[in-house]
Parts: sequence; structure tokens; C-alpha cells
Amino acid sequence: MPKLTIDGKTIEVAKGTTLLEAAQQLGVYIPRYCYHPRLSVSGNCRMCLVEVEKAPKLVTACSTEAAEGMTVRTDSEKVKAARKDVLEFLLINHPLDCPICDQAGECGLQDYYMEYSLKKSRFSREDKVRRGKRRPLGPNLVLDNERCILCTRCVRFCAEVTKTSELEVMERADHSFIDLKEGKALDNGYTLNIADICPVGAWTSRDFRFKQRVWFLKKTPTVCLGCATGCQIEAHHNDNTIYRIMPRPNAETNTWLCDQGRMTYKAVQAGDRLSKGVIRNGVIDLEPALREAATRIDAAHSAAAVAVLGSPWLSVEDNAALARLAKDAIKTESFCFDLAAEQGIKDGILINKDAAPNTAGVALVKAAHGGISLGELASRLASGKIKVLVTEARAAAFLKPVLASAKPLLIVFATNRAQIPPEAYATLAYASYFETPGTFVNYQGLRRTTEPAVNAREGVKPLWTLVSKLAAYSGASLKLDSPEDALKGIDFK
Amino acid sequence: MISVKKVDNRTLNFLERIYIWEIARGIAVTSRHFFINLFNPKKIMTVQYPEEKLALPASALLRTRHRLKVRADGSPKCVACFMCQTACPAFCIKIESAEYPDNSVEKYPAVFDIDLSRCVMCGMCVEACPEDAISMDTGEIPGAAVTRSALLLTKEDLLRNLPGEPSVLGAANALANEYLRSRGEE
Repeated sequence: MPKLTIDGKTIEVAKGTTLLEAAQQLGVYIPRYCYHPRLSVSGNCRMCLVEVEKAPKLVTACSTEAAEGMTVRTDSEKVKAARKDVLEFLLINHPLDCPICDQAGECGLQDYYMEYSLKKSRFSREDKVRRGKRRPLGPNLVLDNERCILCTRCVRFCAEVTKTSELEVMERADHSFIDLKEGKALDNGYTLNIADICPVGAWTSRDFRFKQRVWFLKKTPTVCLGCATGCQIEAHHNDNTIYRIMPRPNAETNTWLCDQGRMTYKAVQAGDRLSKGVIRNGVIDLEPALREAATRIDAAHSAAAVAVLGSPWLSVEDNAALARLAKDAIKTESFCFDLAAEQGIKDGILINKDAAPNTAGVALVKAAHGGISLGELASRLASGKIKVLVTEARAAAFLKPVLASAKPLLIVFATNRAQIPPEAYATLAYASYFETPGTFVNYQGLRRTTEPAVNAREGVKPLWTLVSKLAAYSGASLKLDSPEDALKGIDFK
Repeated sequence: MISVKKVDNRTLNFLERIYIWEIARGIAVTSRHFFINLFNPKKIMTVQYPEEKLALPASALLRTRHRLKVRADGSPKCVACFMCQTACPAFCIKIESAEYPDNSVEKYPAVFDIDLSRCVMCGMCVEACPEDAISMDTGEIPGAAVTRSALLLTKEDLLRNLPGEPSVLGAANALANEYLRSRGEE
């Protein structure tokens, strides 16, 4: 356990810790471009130069291991001058693209220039080395070689994280530039992380390109519902519109985020977003649609003729509300929250075998409220005893073969028109989890809560309120006034 | 302490008190100006605004209606960097950016609206512009309008050059001008 002094403060760190990491533990920030906590050390940007006593030259903090008795200075005049000069080097050939560059506002060069340099350029614009300007690479990215500072974070990401090695530094010295290797395509499913880790505007996202300036964006921490992995994410939004999804690195689940997960926000503001009820193919207001659904449930005559199916795409609250609807309002035994699925990381990085975000959460609802198995529900449907089925639109697919033959009256909850199964009789629109809080349990059994980033369209309510209203129309009160009411009796351990 | 000034009003004399004489004096002043203006219109101090306008002093400090400068090919110099929208204290600028398929400057404003009913004519947008694309030197003073929509300046209303332009200031414009030159050579 080497003990060292950084800027007069002493710290003992584990063997193998670098100076940069040791300084970070002390709360001393050392500027860096090529260093990334989850990538191998490259040591090429020279931004993290620090002074070590008895060392003949300044050393790079990111690649120097802490040793016993080291005395490190990160604030000496020599270090400050080195940072200034390194920045000058990096900026010599950097184009003045800030007005048209999406990175402006979160750019490493802009930030460090203001912090450490503030020096006027001594080089004329005409002498700058010109490289290729914007070039779409892969389905999600645009590369601008002229803005690149050759930190090779993108090259190392593709080599070490996705292990696909699409990118390489071509040529040498002044001529070097990042390019795709021959015969490769940049579509490994995690490509947008490259735009995140790029400290300058060389890699930008095609989806986000020119949509919004980053300083207008507000950030809401929430959870990705793309699969059972349940990555922690940040929704960036402005004026009630979500513009992009970024990962919120954490030790438990994720540092990165897959491209698929980043596009989940699109459904929230898609053109086919439902804001009212749908009866067969006709759109009607939500209240009459709810009344119609309640009437159909009542018209089934006996409680045994109504079934309720939970959904792994819904939050624990909403599933619990559905269970309460079945147990306390309809008073049927035919409700099913038995939706086990195979879980685990499919590709060794993030994407889960289970495409639904809340399979583990549904299991908790089953533990609290009971219910029959999916097979039992299917056989009851097949026998024709069940006339009405209430479920979420995507969960109806679990019973697809039976639905086609048994043809019960299908009442579904959906957010988008594309989700509605063709057999549906009535569809009720509910607020998505970018608009309303919801509790989810990921494949690791970790409880994650989404936070509303944008407001739902007028009249669109969370699913548990719809369930509460549906019960009220049938003459029963579930006493659901808040999502916490629905969570009563659920044991998260 | 607020200082108090005591005003000792002079009491009116007899002629002033009978009132008629003072009215006649007032009418005489008005009539004198009326007849002077009637027979010698050159001496009139006022102008018939808005049909008639006085030339404004040519000063760089003067802030009048905005305009967006234009490149040699007629495209706006603006690159939709949103600096003016960010700086605007009245939130009267609305920009939507779009991408050129070929031009190396890449970005341009698809929408550029200035809501004059909100604008406070502070000139922050001009200060903030890194491309020298917006200026407030048209010499026109935005007046009143009958409808709100008449005070909304769109990109088409704003685009205009003054004699002696286009200018070549700004880094992105160097790219755009380079592109224009290269196209001219083809």
C-alpha cells in the first residue's frame, strides 16, 4: 500500500493505482482527454502532466503508478505552463467550428481552454492542417477528422469494450487521422457511446445532430426500459421534448448504453402516440372509452368470465393496480402475474436476453397477490370460459395463439398505436414512464424508479389511475390515490 | 431628510382674473404659428410621421430594426449557432437549425424568427453573434402594428444586405466562402 503526497495532502492507495486516480480520491482534479476510467491507459494527450519530486521531467498522471513516498504537485508553475502549452498544441490545428459544432457547451477543449489557457492563438488560420470534414460513419455517427485531437478513446472503446475493432489511427504524426478499417462497418450496437466519450466534436450523433444546443437541455435521471438490464440513464429534454438519452455510469449496472436503449425516447413523442381511447378502430375520448370497457366487464355477467394479465412492460405500481382490480373490484380468480423469462446479459456488455424491463417486478406482484399460472390462464381461455381479458398491449402477445382461437373481448392499455394487437376491442391510453414515475426491478433484483422528464399530453393519465377509474365505473373503490397506495403489500426485500 | 421647496405662487392680477384676456392671448399665439406655417411651410419643426421620416444620425451606437446578412450566393450568413437566442433577455428569437447536404459550413437556420412585440432592442444578439450575421443597422424604427403577426419577423423579412456587402468576417463564413469559391471554379 504505497503512501504518497499530492499537493501537500497525504493518501494511502492500493498498489497499482495511478497518480490520476489517487488525486481523484483526494478530490484533486487533473485535466485529461485520453484517460477514461473504463478504458486502457493510452497516455497520448499529455494533458495530465504533473510534477513529481526527483523526476527529471513532468510525468503523465494517468500512466504513472503511485509509489511509496512520492511527492506530487499538480498546481506548480511548471505544471500550469505545461497545460497551457499542451492545449496550444492541441488547438493549433483545431478548426474554429464552435458555432456549427454540436459539442460546443460540453467540449473538453472549450472547458479546459477557459480553465487553464486563455491564450491567444499564435498561429494563423491559413496554416492549419486541413483534414476531412463531416462524414457519416455507421448508422448513428458523423466523423469530423479536422476536430479530432487523436486521443484514441474511440479506437480503444471499439477494441476493448465491444471488441469489434472497427476503428484505427491511420498514417503517422501530422498526417494521422481516425478511420474505419477496411471492410468494417461501424454498427456494433454501442456506437453512440463513441460520441459520448469523444472529448471534442469529432464524433457527433446523427440522431441528435443540430436538434438542440446542449446548454438548453435539462437533465432528468431515470431508468432505461429497453430491456431487463435496467441501465441508469439521463433524459435530456427542453420545452417538454426529449432530445437524447445518455448513460448515467454506475458501479452496479452500466457505464455505457446501447444504441437501442438510446432510441427508446422516440416512442414518447412519436406520431402514433395515443392520447385518447380507441374502440376497435375509432378514437374516442378517454372517459367514454373507460365507461365502455367497464360496461363490457360488467356485461360478462359472472366474475369468472373476466381475466386480468399483468405485463413486464409495466411498472410494479401499475401491475399491482391491475392485481387489485382483479381481486378487489372484479373479484375474479383468473388473474395471472406469472411471467417468468430467461434473464442475463446476452452479448457480454449490456443487452439482456429478456426484452421486457420488469419481469422481476411482476414476480414481486405475484408473490404479494398470488394468481394463476400463464398456462392455466391459456387453458381457461381456450375452454371459452373467459369472455373478457384485460391486459397491457404488448403482454397480449403471451397469449397470441389462444387469443386467435378463443376470441375473448380484449381490453388493452397502450401508449402507442403500433403496440395495439389486432384482436383488441378497446384500447386505453396511459402515460409513458418518461412522463410518470414507476418502480422497476432489473435482472439483478435492483429496485429502480423512473422519474418524469416531460409532461404527459393533456388528459393522459398513469395506468394505475385508469385502473382505479375502471373499478369506480364498476362500482368498486380500490382506494388508489397515489402510486404508493398501489405498492402496499409488495415486499421489495 | 427630504428637502422641501416652498412655492410662493404669485396672486393673479385683475386682467388675469377676468380670464377672457388670457384666452385671447393664447389664441393669438396659436394663430400666429398657424398662419406662419400656412404661408411659410419650410419653417415647420415637425414631420408627418410615418409618411415622412427624418434621416437618423449615422452612428454605430444606433440600434434599429434587425437584419440578417447574406452571403454572395444569397444564403444567410447565420449558421444557427443559437448564440443570439441564448443571449436574448426578452426570449424573442426562435431558431430551428437544418443541415446543408453539400456546403462545408454544414448548418443553417431553417427558421429564424424575431418577435418584435417582445424585442427590447438591446442589441445583445448583435454582440453575441460570432459570424457577424445579424446587425441592427437598417435605420428603420419598428413602429406599431394592427396585428401581432405583423410584428413577427421571419427569416425572409430579415435577410437583406446593405450596399458594399457581403462581408467575410467569422470563421464558419471562411468555410462557406471557400465552398462558394470552389464552386465558382468548377
